[in-house]
Amino acid sequence: MTMYCGRWYERDERFIAAHHQPALLLDLLLARDISSHKILRGSGLFYEDILTGSHYLSPAQLQQLITNGRKLLPQEDLSFRWGDSLWPGHYGVFSQLLANAPDLERALQALVDYRRFLSPLLVPRIYQDERYCYVQWLDACGLQDERRFMVETAMTGLTAMSRWLAQETLPWRYGFSYAQPAQDEQYQVYLGPDLHFSVGVDVMMIEKHWLQKAWPRGSATAYQVALREAQLLIGEDVAMNGFNEAVYHYLTQQLRAPQSLPEVAQAFAMSPATFKRKLHKHHCHFQQLQDQARLHVCLYLFHINGWTNEQVAHYLNFNDTTNFRRAFKRWSGLTPSDSKQRFLFAAG
Amino acid sequence: MFSTLFLHRRKLLLVFGLALASVIASVMVGDAKHWREIDWLDVLGEGGSAVAVAIWMLLILGSRPAGRVTDLLTLGLGFIFLAMWQDNLDEFIRIPAEQWWDAWLESVAMPVGIALLTYGLFHWHSEQLSINRQLAKRERLFREHRFIDGLTQLGRADYLKEQLQLHLNSTRPMTLMMVDINDFSSVNRRFGHREGDRLVREIAELLLLNLRQSDLICRYAGDRFALLLPGTEGEAALQLAQELELAVQHFAFKHSHTGETLYQRISIGLTECRPGDLPARSIERVNQALLTAQRQHGCFLAA
Repeated sequence: MTMYCGRWYERDERFIAAHHQPALLLDLLLARDISSHKILRGSGLFYEDILTGSHYLSPAQLQQLITNGRKLLPQEDLSFRWGDSLWPGHYGVFSQLLANAPDLERALQALVDYRRFLSPLLVPRIYQDERYCYVQWLDACGLQDERRFMVETAMTGLTAMSRWLAQETLPWRYGFSYAQPAQDEQYQVYLGPDLHFSVGVDVMMIEKHWLQKAWPRGSATAYQVALREAQLLIGEDVAMNGFNEAVYHYLTQQLRAPQSLPEVAQAFAMSPATFKRKLHKHHCHFQQLQDQARLHVCLYLFHINGWTNEQVAHYLNFNDTTNFRRAFKRWSGLTPSDSKQRFLFAAG
Repeated sequence: MFSTLFLHRRKLLLVFGLALASVIASVMVGDAKHWREIDWLDVLGEGGSAVAVAIWMLLILGSRPAGRVTDLLTLGLGFIFLAMWQDNLDEFIRIPAEQWWDAWLESVAMPVGIALLTYGLFHWHSEQLSINRQLAKRERLFREHRFIDGLTQLGRADYLKEQLQLHLNSTRPMTLMMVDINDFSSVNRRFGHREGDRLVREIAELLLLNLRQSDLICRYAGDRFALLLPGTEGEAALQLAQELELAVQHFAFKHSHTGETLYQRISIGLTECRPGDLPARSIERVNQALLTAQRQHGCFLAA
């Protein structure tokens, strides 16, 4: 039994500065002549709160704003427009970090290290193999129906930020966990032509040589200064993981010996009942997180390590590959070979 | 809707004032019928129709600017409403036969209302034809309000697909064009998305002005517009694309606060559509052509 040693934030903790990303979303809606009380309905917020510049929202409240926005402008491109100007943004030292990043690698590092402040609902994770850098987007604390919205926002955000700072369009490729939407025009315009749906994970990838290419707007000195300031500002004990993210992360590390719910609860220093209640509060089930963790690890082993079915099945302690194939199909809706084909296609 | 209704408050006051007056007059001169005498089926039928007519009147007023056609339609429906209303009052109140106005309201208001409504509809028809001419480049052959984009009032991508399908069933050659504003994202960043919205709207107007009566323009998504040019191929289509490029290049868009001029450039991808092509395939091809055009900063015609 390994204890989980990180810290996490929960859905109802108020730590998202209202005048940062939420204010930008609000302004996009106000510009379309929607009254502020309709946008803020059910969120427990008042417009005046946001104007004070010292009010904080919980992830659940920000999510309520998104739900309202989506209902008020049902056929609009709100998620994409929000993403388009989301980063570097005007979020104090964290925006300075992004704006001064000397290259893509350090911009991504800042985005990952300060995800609590830059992208609290859907968080990035970076992987690399010999050829590609992958940016995976994970649900931090129970997005449910707004997941697709946030994936659109975050992917547009990173695309637009890298284009703005690099002063050229970067050849990102995009993979989505969900099926191709009936209307994918916004994806074409805001992201680009290289779109791959139903691949089991929300991921952006780019060839690695783009990571170190110097950005004309970047400044290594200003980046270092901002980095030190950011470290001083937040201190050591600030939780950087959302609750779902923390559990997911723990599960991916324990996959070779899958643990039961009571065991995981113990690792998180909680009673099984409390742990279950927390999972429920964050709109997820234990099994669902477990399956997702396994699927993502499989995808990682297949595509980044280049392992065969037999190797992965053995690694995950399946008795035979037939069982493994059946399980994989249950997690992803695809057989391992279908999945490989889709990814190979995406990786070109 | 309510702001439009306010424009017509006098007409509404007249119609509902008369309706109220007739209730008061009937109560004063007549005597109430006994509960058992009332024929509820009649009440439901006649009263329901009167209410429906009143709703039609409100819907028309709520959706139209003031003007002669609106006046005629309202007055026509107003009179019909009054006639039905009076008819319905008779179900509850017995009015002495010597009260001439009761019969008058019932039997004269109805034909007058119908005459006014007919005359109004005739003029509405002519008005609609002239509006159709104004809309021609935004809308062709069929109308579907769910497919209209809120920002530019152009058709959306769904509308484009429907139109493409209609055209691809015919045998005429046709060119599909995608127009994209260069580096639009940085306009949003530097000047805010309100200025960005305004720029998209004004570029849409500008493109509209430079099209022929037979062409169609839709907003594809974001800052990308799709143009459908029936009966146009190759050189002629490229010529048109270059004209659009020049028009946008010379368009001096002004920042709404500072008055600063922000010049824009566009890239255009083109593709020829043949009968039997799938709409999705044509759109994919033209988007690819646009990518090439963006790399070359100009127009590109895909084979």
